[in-house]
Amino acid sequence: MAGLQYVLKRLALMVPTFVLVMIIIFLLVRLLPGDPAIAIAGDKASDADLAAIREKLGLNDPLLVQFWLFFTNTLQGDLGRSIMMRTSVSSVILERLPTTGFLALFAVSLSLLIAGPLAFVAALNRGKWPDTVIRTVFQVGLSMPVFYIGLILLTFLAAQLRWFPVGGSGDGFFGQLYYLFLPSMTVALYTSAIIMRNLRASIIEVLDAEYVQFARAKGLPNRLILGRHVLRNALISTITLLGLSIGNLMSGTLVTETVFAVPGLGRLMLEAIFARDYPLIQGLTLTFAILVSIVFLLTDLFQSLLDPRMRLT
Amino acid sequence: MTRSTLMAAALAATTALVTPVAAQERGGTMNFARYDGSRLIDPIYADRNPDIWMVGSLFDTLLRSSDDGKSIVGGLAESFEVSEDGKTVTLMLQSGLKFADGSALEADDVLFSLDRARNGDLGPWSGMLGSVSDVTADGNTITVSLSQPDPTILSMLATFNTAIVNKDVFEAAEGATDQEKSAAIFAAGGAGVGSGAFYMCGFEQGASMDFCANEHHWEMGADGKPLPYLDKVHFEIIPDDATRILKLQAGEVDAVEFVPFSRVAELDADPAINMNLYPSTRIIYSPINTRETRADGSANPLNDVRVRQAINYATNKDALIGLVLQGAGQPMTAPLMSSSTRLASKLDLYSYDMDKAMALVKEAGIEPGTKVTLTTLAGSADDSTIFAALQQMWAPLGIELVVEQVDGPTRSAKNRSGEFDIHTYGWVDDVNDPSQVTGWLGYSPIRSAVGTGWESDKFNALFEASGKEMDQAARAQQYADMQTIYTDAAPLLFMYETPFAVAVSTAVDGYVQTPLGANIFSRATVSK
Repeated sequence: MAGLQYVLKRLALMVPTFVLVMIIIFLLVRLLPGDPAIAIAGDKASDADLAAIREKLGLNDPLLVQFWLFFTNTLQGDLGRSIMMRTSVSSVILERLPTTGFLALFAVSLSLLIAGPLAFVAALNRGKWPDTVIRTVFQVGLSMPVFYIGLILLTFLAAQLRWFPVGGSGDGFFGQLYYLFLPSMTVALYTSAIIMRNLRASIIEVLDAEYVQFARAKGLPNRLILGRHVLRNALISTITLLGLSIGNLMSGTLVTETVFAVPGLGRLMLEAIFARDYPLIQGLTLTFAILVSIVFLLTDLFQSLLDPRMRLT
Repeated sequence: MTRSTLMAAALAATTALVTPVAAQERGGTMNFARYDGSRLIDPIYADRNPDIWMVGSLFDTLLRSSDDGKSIVGGLAESFEVSEDGKTVTLMLQSGLKFADGSALEADDVLFSLDRARNGDLGPWSGMLGSVSDVTADGNTITVSLSQPDPTILSMLATFNTAIVNKDVFEAAEGATDQEKSAAIFAAGGAGVGSGAFYMCGFEQGASMDFCANEHHWEMGADGKPLPYLDKVHFEIIPDDATRILKLQAGEVDAVEFVPFSRVAELDADPAINMNLYPSTRIIYSPINTRETRADGSANPLNDVRVRQAINYATNKDALIGLVLQGAGQPMTAPLMSSSTRLASKLDLYSYDMDKAMALVKEAGIEPGTKVTLTTLAGSADDSTIFAALQQMWAPLGIELVVEQVDGPTRSAKNRSGEFDIHTYGWVDDVNDPSQVTGWLGYSPIRSAVGTGWESDKFNALFEASGKEMDQAARAQQYADMQTIYTDAAPLLFMYETPFAVAVSTAVDGYVQTPLGANIFSRATVSK
């Protein structure tokens, strides 16, 4: 019951967050230099044509009127019509959301699969050569820009060895798994480097804790100590970091989806910005804000499951 | 007045020039990687190159530009004739024409399409048919009446916005307005709306698009069967240059457009790839703000024609072409257009001459350290190279060039408001006639001569007169005079012409990109 109340309270707190996001993004896109009417009609359009387009889009209305329209329409689930796509913003976002969602989940799964075991190996071999090798390799991964990692993977694994397709998103679960492996791996290599460093440090800290020493003194099997006491406690801070990484990952899709020609929300956001597609930029930003808020809520819930001391209040 | 009648033989002769004699391999899919996707392929609403360049694949025009872009030949109309007073064009439709769904293409469809094209309340291109007062039909004979002689009318009837759409399909489409009907037809795809070599049979906004063969197309291939040879063209939208090229190298696509010039030599050396550099009407230039003062009220050194001429002389175009295009281009020789455009002059357009440049700035009294801002596109490697080169080239003149990096929409806004000194820009003709580019670059009532603020009454008068001049020699002289005036005034930094760089697999044959940019797939084949 307390858990449900906590979730409802958190959901209620999201409302002012979203209102704030709406105000900020509404003002920011209008502060950008450049005219959406030119983006629609092109450089060659006459001033009269541009004026007509601005009037039609309501861009000549006072800002307050424009914002009120955006706000009330959004509350009714209407994010407006995309200027460049000539269709409803909601339908465009819903069309692209599954691809970006799949990419994000795949990337997070790969990050955990890579970072988890290696963090254990590094922590249990603290100061020895496996620890040094793992940390050095991840340090290199961390210092390289995401787009560069992507191009290296594309060149060798796709263009030369032809193990994976160069771009696209694929159809069906297995098609997406195949097509989105390289972009997910690109993101995962970066994210796993951060998670691995954090998890390794946490494991080392927990291994030195008195309750672990006590468990060892009691003669508990090593597997039980690592699984029940070490991993569970070490994961608490890592879960927080993972939540934050997923937030970063959302912005990282702008680059990854462009390099890998994945038709997802990140690439759409980039196109919308260049086209000064105000309704689409607003809709996408709100979508990203909702997704990140949900991830943060889930992060807190997971933490409370792992650590009973963190009461859901 | 010269009476011109060009029959289907002219079309057949032109077609024969580009059609291989041997029987063609039919069938298969050509996979084509594009830099940007189409958003609405409708003749009258297409306003971006990724839309305009695809119109011809789905829709036919009454007339066509020849493959070299220099003349007009028949299309849906098998013959055409301009009256002696230049005020009537009579066209004879081919018989038995069909849309891609097999329904008949008739004179009613032509009237509907041309009325739509010249409706000022609809698309942005209606002004191109401003001289048309009426369009009527008698059987297969179409008569276009003009309010005044118009030397561009044949070119306009060969331009994408006058392509023929199916009246019945349009009228039956969902939507209250023409725009809504157009969007609904495009979203639904299908074979009913056009008579081009293909119809759209698949579309995912911003991701992919499919064109399927129109089995009812009127144009015949070398084997005597209807074009196209291909069953299908599949387009993938891949904005990143490196990824697009990797797709080709991995064999996942058969062709990629807009190959960066820095990669041309590498792809040319690949035995599995044909690196094509198609002649184009594309010019790269930089408008110069010629106003007396800048937008902030400060004195504008570029208001002095001698300074504008000096920076043109001090710009080593060959060096720029080497740096930016890796040699795959040529300096502009016609000041208002590409040299491949009709009526282009061949002039010595400010060949590199530092002595002249130095003399001109001295005469103009330019102080050392005079600051000039070059506005470039953020993220454009070409623009960065241009800036670095110009900064070095102009330093001896006493000009300190500084850079301002912006994105495309911001640059466009600055061009319109005059808030710039010089900025990079480019152009590709949409029409097979020099009037469009000349109006854009030099005729001040249209967008202040590409935002430069330059104005010449003599130039404007010549341009207006050329819009009614039916005598070809007299019109050519008017264009020659306009180009001379423009050269002397130098409201642009005249830079270079570039080809369209398209890399295709050696399995592909017959694909062409025209000088106007249109992608022609109707004679393309892919070896199986």
